[in-house]
Amino acid sequence: MSDYVEMRFGPRWTYISCVRKFVASFFMIGLADKERAEQISMAASELLENAVKYASEEEGYLKISIEKQQNEVDVCVKNKAESQHINTLRREFALIHAGQPESVYLKKMEEAAMTEGQSRLGLIRILFEAGARLRLDVNDGEVSIHAIFPLETA
Amino acid sequence: MNETLTPLTAEGLSIVPAVHDTKLRLTMSGAVEMRDPGEMLNPFWARIDEEARKRNVQSVEVDLRDLNFMNSSGILTLVRWITKLKASAAYRLVLRYDRNVTWQRSSIPTLAKLAPNVVVPLEING
Repeated sequence: MSDYVEMRFGPRWTYISCVRKFVASFFMIGLADKERAEQISMAASELLENAVKYASEEEGYLKISIEKQQNEVDVCVKNKAESQHINTLRREFALIHAGQPESVYLKKMEEAAMTEGQSRLGLIRILFEAGARLRLDVNDGEVSIHAIFPLETA
Repeated sequence: MNETLTPLTAEGLSIVPAVHDTKLRLTMSGAVEMRDPGEMLNPFWARIDEEARKRNVQSVEVDLRDLNFMNSSGILTLVRWITKLKASAAYRLVLRYDRNVTWQRSSIPTLAKLAPNVVVPLEING
């Protein structure tokens, strides 16, 4: 049994800020934990930014569930993606899980500073700064990225 | 003598620079969540860096306390500035942040670890 918020929208950049603020307010009330609410909203925002940048079709999907049994919040962003982006994501997941999160984050920052283009810091930021667990599911060209947050036990 | 440099105001973000004797201070407010913040922030930070070197200031202080969010692309613009400063240190970069704002408390100390000799994270309670 879980409570959840679900949104589907055309992946327009201007919506991301609204979603971030809504998610922060929603979880501030729901969890009574400002820090966790802001971490969840940051994760939602970073994942949606990636979806808008790399999605191959005109729909973004966000679902945030409070999994009461597991005492977790699962932030899931789903979108269709081209195979080259899926392969890039798989490599990215392998890379960010290949060392201590802080070391990986600092290394990626240094590398990003030396190259032009996108930052590609969003996923490691969620992992390290927000302390979430990340999971990547791919099914028939549809990518789901989950950022899973443990909740404090009452 | 205090002087004011040209501020940056765009897309929900405001940065107001001012020179105070041996210090250049930048006050940020709003949010950095545009798609490509590097387009406006990279040249802006480059101008600030150039100005700080020209004026021979001891420190540049960026006050982030009223900045309610910065996305990872915005973080990258600070990383680029810090990387440049690390390669050719001319002043200290002080990042003043509010410990009660979650993204600031997690991002700023990490940024400072990129160049601990030149970047100073300054935590404020409120």
